[in-house]
Amino acid sequence: MDRYGRRRIANGVVTTLSVAATAFGLLWLILVLWTLLWNGVAAITPALFSQMTPPPGSAGGLLNAIFGSVVMTLTATLIGTPTGILAGTFLAEYSRGNRFGEVVRFINDILLSAPSIIVGLFVYEIMVIRMGHFSAWAGAVALAIIVIPVVVRTTEDMLNLVPDALREAASALGSPKWKVIVMVSYRAAIQGIVTGVMLAVARIAGETAPLLFTALNNQFWSTNMNAPMANLPVVIFQFAMSPYSDWQELAWGGALLITITVLFLNIGARALASLGTFKQ
Amino acid sequence: MPPAASNSPATASEPAPRQKVLIRNVDFYYGTFKALKNVTMPLHDKRVTAFIGPSGCGKSTLLRVLNRIYELYPGQRATGEVIVDDENILTPGLDLNLLRARIGMVFQKPTPFPMSIYDNIAFGIRLYENLPHHELDDRVESALRRAALWDEVKDKLRQSGLGLSGGQQQRLCIARAVAVQPEILLLDEPASALDPISTQRIEELIAELKVDYCIAIVTHNMQQAARTSDYTAFMYLGELIEFDETERIFTHPKQKHTEDYITGRFG
Amino acid sequence: MASEHIARGYDEELRKLNNTVAEMGGLAESQLGTAIEAVMARDTELAAHVVEGDVKVDELERELDNLAIRLLALRQPVARDLREIFSALKIGSDLERIGDYAANVAKRSIALSQSPAVRPVYALPRMAHLAQLLIKDVLDSYVQRDADKAYSVWKRDAELDEMYSSLFRELLTYMMEDPRSIGSCTHLLFMAKNIERIGDHATNIAENLYYLVNGTPLEGARPKGDTSSLEVMMPNRAPQ
Repeated sequence: MDRYGRRRIANGVVTTLSVAATAFGLLWLILVLWTLLWNGVAAITPALFSQMTPPPGSAGGLLNAIFGSVVMTLTATLIGTPTGILAGTFLAEYSRGNRFGEVVRFINDILLSAPSIIVGLFVYEIMVIRMGHFSAWAGAVALAIIVIPVVVRTTEDMLNLVPDALREAASALGSPKWKVIVMVSYRAAIQGIVTGVMLAVARIAGETAPLLFTALNNQFWSTNMNAPMANLPVVIFQFAMSPYSDWQELAWGGALLITITVLFLNIGARALASLGTFKQ
Repeated sequence: MPPAASNSPATASEPAPRQKVLIRNVDFYYGTFKALKNVTMPLHDKRVTAFIGPSGCGKSTLLRVLNRIYELYPGQRATGEVIVDDENILTPGLDLNLLRARIGMVFQKPTPFPMSIYDNIAFGIRLYENLPHHELDDRVESALRRAALWDEVKDKLRQSGLGLSGGQQQRLCIARAVAVQPEILLLDEPASALDPISTQRIEELIAELKVDYCIAIVTHNMQQAARTSDYTAFMYLGELIEFDETERIFTHPKQKHTEDYITGRFG
Repeated sequence: MASEHIARGYDEELRKLNNTVAEMGGLAESQLGTAIEAVMARDTELAAHVVEGDVKVDELERELDNLAIRLLALRQPVARDLREIFSALKIGSDLERIGDYAANVAKRSIALSQSPAVRPVYALPRMAHLAQLLIKDVLDSYVQRDADKAYSVWKRDAELDEMYSSLFRELLTYMMEDPRSIGSCTHLLFMAKNIERIGDHATNIAENLYYLVNGTPLEGARPKGDTSSLEVMMPNRAPQ
């Protein structure tokens, strides 16, 4: 067989293997989504959004858990985003190549991959025990600690993508450094930074372990941040492991809700990123 | 043969050249590497001075000394004097932002800010002046007219500057630089990223602008220096080899080194 | 003319070049006319005036050279622009020679007016007039960039050459008949030769213009009507 023929066969083999591997990976994703849909769609009723978590054996909804998740996620984002952006700005604009910056970056990377249960335990130690009780504040803080390194990383990366020529052009007009950063660097990187925040939110939407040690759970409706608050991940944890069928159904519903939210956030982040490249 | 009167930069239509900047005994260091060695030369007002020389000769470095943009990077420093209208701008402790508002710079790659065309031009103006709306509009319009860009963008001032073509973006950057009414314009290879027609437009723009500004241009294209400048400085390995009127340099330069370079006898 | 350069300074410089050529040409033409006037009127003051006037023609040529060198060095001309500048240089050189010849005619007229008048002198204005026409027409064709007009000038030089040949024979006959007129006739001979050379230079200019407009040189041998170099004079016999 000639060389060209051999190459074509090799090409065919590798292509087949690649497609098979992709199909294998996609298969599991599809299976998961399908299972969620199959089991959870029955629970998606108006009641899900209007009723509280029920005692075992009766029907109900997930309103308090949804509310709690939203409130804690939002608070965590509000705490974590400014901190993360400012830290990322510091790394990208003020400490390029200097030793201190390298150390900060290294610590950030470690935090980024820290097991979330460790974060939960940490906050349990410094907040829950000190305060003497579980609280939604503690939950928000734990989630914020997970948000921060993600936002720092993406902010720094996006700011580093802004060409130096742009900064020089602004400085050459006589602009002070902070204005160069705010009016030029941020504006150039804004798409990427927002994408980073969205991805961070998607990350914490489904975190269970930290909340177990901090916000715990609450059967009832509560808006008190100083007390334990219901949230979707812990509710799912509790209901799914129970023997009660309506609880299990609610758990599937909750899981489906989280999945859809995370999917939308990820797709939205991707769409936003591609919008940016179009304009450029 | 004796040169006729029309060949010097001071023709009947132009005023006699006045020295605007005096660069004196300037050295420059990137860390420990000495990139400029004892450079001394004048820049004349309302004239174009070109810096030419092979890669690495220090021409861009010298240009960047003039507005101290190198101060953005640690490890880069300059010694010596650069006297602009009786003031040494290399004095430590000088307000660099004010300096850079007087000495504008246009870079090799067009760098429009990620904002509307109007805001791009207004950016520099808003830094130091608090103008009422219609006055700001006038300034933006006159800057765009000076850069020969007004007719092409007057209907899309609110659109992003990034939507313009390469040549237009570079003219936008020039408009941005002249909008703050500087005294001196520094152009660092302003046309090297552009196609030939856009390049010619930029060169014609420079010829129009020199009536009002002292212009220094770095170019790796000798023919561009011949076409656009009144004075030319030939640099090699950080030293100034020859500085003279452009016509003199390109018809009978004093230094053999200069002649070898411009006739292409060495890279 | 075709459209303008993006760099307006370039167009201005080219215009200046053209204007200098036109000015030189006009001056050379009038120098010739005044020189002939001086001959016919036997006016030595006018003749001296023409000789002085040649200085201006030389000055213009130097100016033209400087302009052209400057354009070549600073503008890197190509194609038509390059041919323009190249042609302007060569035409300037031809015009300067024309000016010199006109001044020579004027200079000789001073000596001529101090010698007795001779009859063949009346042939000179006709020749000079034709030469003036050639100069004028070739300059017009330069200003209009008209290659056809230049071509017709190129051909008409033959006529001037024929006039010179016949004047040559006439002067030789006159000199043989009356040896006292040899002095004046010799001066006249030289003047006539000068005018014939002016015609040749006008032809050069026509050739240069043709090249400028068409980018290729004018082919073919130049029509020559000057047979004087072939004349054989035998004593006591009429010319062949």
